[in-house]
Amino acid sequence: MTWPDTTLARARDIIARYPEPRSAVMPLLYVAMRHDGRLTDEGMRQVAALTGMTAVQVESVASFYSMYKRHVGSHVVSVCTSISCHLLGGRDVLAAVSDATGVPAGETSADGSVTIESVECIGACGGAPAVQVDYELIEGVTPDKGAELCRWLMTAHPEVVHGDDLQTRFGGRRSFPAGPPDPVGAMGPYPAFGPLGTTGGEA
Amino acid sequence: MTDRILTVRMEAHPTDSHTMARYEATGGYAALRKALAMKPEDIVAEVKASNLRGRGGAGFPTGVKWGFLAPTRPRYLVINADESEPGTFKDRQLLERDPHQLLEGIIISSFAIDAHHAFVFVRGEYPRSARRLQQAVEEARAAGYLGRGILGTGFDLDVTVHLGAGAYICGEETAALNSLEGRRGEPRIKPPFPAVAGLYAKPTIVNNVETIANIPWIVMNGGAAYNAIGPEGSRGTRLLSLSGHVANPGNYEIVMGMSWRDLIFGIGGGIPNGKALKCWIPGGASAPWFTPDLLDTPVTLDDIAKNGSMAGSGAVVVMDETTNVVAAAWSIVRFFSHESCGQCTPCREGTTWLQRILERILAGQGRPSDVDLLLDVCDNISPGLRWPPAQTTICPLGPSAVSPITSIMKHFRDEVVAMIPGAVTAGV
Amino acid sequence: MSDPIKLTVDGREVTAPGGQLLIKAAEEHGTYIPRFCWHPRMKPVGMCRMCLVEVEGPRGKVLVTSCTTPVAEGMVVHTKSDVVKKAQEGVLEFLLVNHPLDCPVCDKGGECPLQDQTLSHGPGESRFVEEKRHFEKPIAISELVMLDRERCILCARCTRFSDEISGDPLIEFIDRGNHTQINTFPDEPFASYFSGNTVQICPVGALTATPYRFRARPWDLEAVESTCPQCSVGCRVSVQASQNQVLRLIGVDVDATNQGWLCDKGRFAFEHLRAPARLSTPLVRGADGELHEAGWGEALDLIASRIGAVIAERGPAAVAGLGGARSTNEEAYAFGKLLRGVLGTGNLDASLGDDPGAALLAGVPHRATIDDLERAKTILVWGPDLKEELPVLHLRVRRAATALGADVVVVHPRATGLDRDAAHVVRYRPGEGAATLQRLAAGEGDLAAVRAALDTGPVVAIVGRTGLAESADLADAVAAFALTLADAKVMPVARRGNVLGAIDMGVHPHLLPGRVAASDAAARAALAAAWGCAVAVPGRDTSGILSGMADGSIAAVLLLGCDPVADHPDRKAAAAAFDKAPFLVSLDLFLNESNRTADVVLPVDTFTEVEGTMTNLEGRVQKSNRIVPGVGASRPVVEILEDLAARLGGSIGAGAAAIAKEIALVAPAYAAVSWEALDWGRGRDGIVVAEGPFTHTPERRATDPSVGALTLHLGRVLYDGGTMITAGPSLARLAPEPAAHLHPDDASRLGFAAGDRVTVTGNAGSAAMAVAIDPTLARGTVYLPFNLGASIGNGLEVKVEK
Ligand SMILES: Cc1cc2nc3c(=O)[nH]c(=O)nc-3n(C[C@H](O)[C@H](O)[C@H](O)COP(=O)(O)O)c2cc1C
Ligand code: SF4
Ligand code: FES
Repeated sequence: MTWPDTTLARARDIIARYPEPRSAVMPLLYVAMRHDGRLTDEGMRQVAALTGMTAVQVESVASFYSMYKRHVGSHVVSVCTSISCHLLGGRDVLAAVSDATGVPAGETSADGSVTIESVECIGACGGAPAVQVDYELIEGVTPDKGAELCRWLMTAHPEVVHGDDLQTRFGGRRSFPAGPPDPVGAMGPYPAFGPLGTTGGEA
Repeated sequence: MTDRILTVRMEAHPTDSHTMARYEATGGYAALRKALAMKPEDIVAEVKASNLRGRGGAGFPTGVKWGFLAPTRPRYLVINADESEPGTFKDRQLLERDPHQLLEGIIISSFAIDAHHAFVFVRGEYPRSARRLQQAVEEARAAGYLGRGILGTGFDLDVTVHLGAGAYICGEETAALNSLEGRRGEPRIKPPFPAVAGLYAKPTIVNNVETIANIPWIVMNGGAAYNAIGPEGSRGTRLLSLSGHVANPGNYEIVMGMSWRDLIFGIGGGIPNGKALKCWIPGGASAPWFTPDLLDTPVTLDDIAKNGSMAGSGAVVVMDETTNVVAAAWSIVRFFSHESCGQCTPCREGTTWLQRILERILAGQGRPSDVDLLLDVCDNISPGLRWPPAQTTICPLGPSAVSPITSIMKHFRDEVVAMIPGAVTAGV
Repeated sequence: MSDPIKLTVDGREVTAPGGQLLIKAAEEHGTYIPRFCWHPRMKPVGMCRMCLVEVEGPRGKVLVTSCTTPVAEGMVVHTKSDVVKKAQEGVLEFLLVNHPLDCPVCDKGGECPLQDQTLSHGPGESRFVEEKRHFEKPIAISELVMLDRERCILCARCTRFSDEISGDPLIEFIDRGNHTQINTFPDEPFASYFSGNTVQICPVGALTATPYRFRARPWDLEAVESTCPQCSVGCRVSVQASQNQVLRLIGVDVDATNQGWLCDKGRFAFEHLRAPARLSTPLVRGADGELHEAGWGEALDLIASRIGAVIAERGPAAVAGLGGARSTNEEAYAFGKLLRGVLGTGNLDASLGDDPGAALLAGVPHRATIDDLERAKTILVWGPDLKEELPVLHLRVRRAATALGADVVVVHPRATGLDRDAAHVVRYRPGEGAATLQRLAAGEGDLAAVRAALDTGPVVAIVGRTGLAESADLADAVAAFALTLADAKVMPVARRGNVLGAIDMGVHPHLLPGRVAASDAAARAALAAAWGCAVAVPGRDTSGILSGMADGSIAAVLLLGCDPVADHPDRKAAAAAFDKAPFLVSLDLFLNESNRTADVVLPVDTFTEVEGTMTNLEGRVQKSNRIVPGVGASRPVVEILEDLAARLGGSIGAGAAAIAKEIALVAPAYAAVSWEALDWGRGRDGIVVAEGPFTHTPERRATDPSVGALTLHLGRVLYDGGTMITAGPSLARLAPEPAAHLHPDDASRLGFAAGDRVTVTGNAGSAAMAVAIDPTLARGTVYLPFNLGASIGNGLEVKVEK
């Protein structure tokens, strides 16, 4: 076991939420990413040991999903290009983001600060084109705002990113009124969710 | 008559509709108290009487599904919050803005079907939805609505909020079950259906977020009241996601039966920038496209089906006259190719092949034979290219990739042909 | 499966068991539906979509996969309609979209279902003009298996096999959709004892076996069906050879034994047949003390004269024979007849003291068959780790546990391959077996639930030696206990290939051919009449012979394919006996620790080179067949023994076929056994011989010795130091390094960490090795793998020191 006790305790809490340990493999993979900053062989071995799976079974599950990333920067910028965003200029946003960072879709900047990806529908079609940073959503993004967002990420190196904050600074029209701000932010290229230990806390 | 059920609270209380305090203050959890005093089978009967149909895409009657449960225990309830069909963003609103409404529906439904553990499968890209729901779960547990001996009855329930990790196919109910079991999210062969052998091979009900969010209202007001709303076959209200080339995109809770014209040009505010409507997708990326000749047909499940498409997940994507339909179709085909789980040969190989032919055409390298080839590859995924589709695959994802191609071939064949050097437009 | 139902296939009404899969029902009635992913021994996944057919339903005809659709009353099926044909052609075209079509350089070319079905069901040419999917090719995923991902059609046969059948899921699908590929985890190779099966069932050339790659084209291969001799399960195999060289073994699917599977030892050990070290001429020790090549006449004359002299001087009781457990029944019979009849000695034994005892093996009442496992509700395994010693029996027990709902109870000093699937696991320390049995029988304390489980029959109790430091009495006691259970059958197990067959052929001091007590004078007289010579009275068993060699009372020993110095649990006693070097003759394939000091070594033909029968652990007699000649001047054992008998004034019969007929005459249980009845294609399931006439009543005689702080568990591993393993290049490198395994508590008490070099001292010596930590081990136990070079004896008491 290479994880610290607090992480192991979190892992055991997660396992206890399911009738069978194997069911915890997905949340535990996020815990592994949180621990290493990305998905590693060591992390998958650890998850295998905790769930009674073989390491390759864990990898088989992990590689099925697009959010467990072996190669990723400190932040992942996901530009939606599915149909509604496609119709409203998602590909222009992607091009602008790539230009601003010098990073083609699917790759990571040389300084390791950002990974740029083109993704399928992220459920923000009413606010198209939409972008996520570490799965925190920004809707109504123009190519210019997208580029600005990336330049900020690469220079400010924020430790935590907050969706509402990003939306105010770089976004436009939303799919629906969002209600009050959510104080929680993301700490890395994985979703911010309490049980995973990936929430950044108050802004 | 009631014309809105799901979005009343969030609109009246924009700053705190997601909190326990507001939920209780606006009548929340009264339905749960009422339900816990009922016999479970009577709740099922009310849901049957309501004629509530599933909002996840297939439109299956919810009460009938619950009636299929095999007698064995334990049983599970799984809420499908994997909302990933391009064009769809309604469940996100329900999760973020009124999570207790869904949670109350979950608790009542679990009681009705005798489940003691419910799972909500939230897509990984919706962390805010998961956080809001998790917070609601914790509030509900603290208030005695969840856990052991709910509200002093003998009913126990646990709710686990499960975060997906980026795979549209996990929206298919059996793929969601595999994913919850810690496996690859590959659809299972049916039968057995989840109601007989689902999660951990135990009887399981899988329902969409919106479906279950209706349950508290049905319990409070009775199945008959629900069945009195909207036209036959499309009872109740429905949350439609409007997007694309439309002036007022967004989610709209409507009673079905209005015309497409009223929806797109009335509620949707029409096509921006003075452009004309070219076509629209009536029910998510999987659905065949509609053209303006159908503008005056009614928006109901049955009418949409009769006209050769489906209401699906309620996503209406509007395209204006400037739209390059080949590029639009490519975007959708690429989506399905990217999201194919890879089990079935026709889906795995066929969707990618279609994507690459379209890419060639878009790059100006189409061949005259590509028109027939596209259709024949489609035919090998969905034989006969009919509606509702036949399939050579396990689940309907593969055939879904056929919809945009048959749509453009049916309505815009000339535009496709015009992009292919050397191809001859029919009739010329 | 329920009552027969009627359905219509392509307009013809047929009958099938209700619930049977359509693909199988159609095939049984002569309609072959093409398929890739479906395999009759695994759960259907319906992935490849090749087996689509149309079934008429309430809303018209629907395409369904026949591999996932059970037949139902009144079903109307179309397997050749235009829609079906179009769909199947479509699937094939899709499969070929990314297939490299490198058939000319592919091992599978010529026997490839993809190639065949493309010819019969495929489209003319591909309309796919884009670049195909590319992967690095091929990659080694283990020492034995290579993977070419470009050829893979993603049918999940290999992944299902490793997960569902063998239970070591080390290969899996990686990535999704069109990027999906098969792979192993980085640094975790596909090191499964059963990996070769995936090569066998791969429908394309994606998985290939290193020992066979590029060796032959299928159309150049001849094949013969035979029986694997590597252990006593007796798996059916197809032996395939070209140009007088065995090139591969393929498992044959029979219900009775292996259901198509083989372990990698059985599959790949054939490499030893053409190993450079294999003996190819007789060797005779010269005046210089070295072995020299000799002619057959010279070698046999020497043996006859030396043995003749021993008998003349000291009587036949000074002559002994050991071995036969690796031979055919005919060879073993000939060996027994030579010793007991021609030479007149009752000192003979095929059992090397490493099995649960010949009496239990040959005489157990209520013997279970392997197929009884299909019906068992409870299975007690108190014996060897089946995965290490009897691998395909392990698969059958695993199947019972995972697919058929049986509860398995495993009693063993350390984790076995079955533990993960067992309902109950009982750990005990060697030396405390009798007490453990007592507590189990009484259902004491934590064993109450285990005892209760054993009350649900049918029960099959698999009984053998858990390790070689424990006495065989324990196995007898466990068998005795098992027989007290209601509705129980017992399966005594020993590892060596034909040990039961050799005992049945009378290679045992107390048994005549056909499980007849040798003490029975009337039986001896009857046999003497049949043989036309006197039949010796019972003599010494293996330990008696070894002590006789050591004390000089045995002066001439014949070894038939046996290496007691390496294989006898008390290696010290065996080595001491062989050091005394009486006149020693060895019939063998290789020089080994025992025959290094022999006076004459005779090269023999072996498996794949001779025809004969073998008897597996159930008492099932099966045929072995010849497909290649031996090497150099090697000869069949029966011919060698007949020549020797003739020189000694007797006869044992001319050739194996004649001997087989004689066995049927003199061995009552084998009366129904004939080569014809067992012939390829007809007698696939073999013949299980009846119990008796010799019977043995197992007894609870075992007592626990008083033991010190550490006791020895001497277990076997599949890839050990045996010659079949070490002589072939592929398996030799798989043998693990010997290590002293300790429970973490014992290790920390003694101050050892993993990897520390220690000296382990047993009753017969010391050996230096590394410490390995094994938390599954019973506390107070040191586990050493047997026959891996480091011999410290087989006493229970051990010491481990820095
Ligand atoms: C490829 C595919 C994707 C699907 N995605 C979703 C989804 O994201 N959300 C959903 O609720 N149902 C989805 N469904 C439908 C589900 O399989 C299932 O019918 C539904 O969750 C049942 O709930 P309902 O009866 O309440 O509609 C999908 C189906 C398919 C075939
Ligand atoms: S149709 Fe596609 S997504 Fe559906 S099961 Fe088959 S391969 Fe998977
Ligand atoms: S053999 Fe039936 S789907 Fe593959």
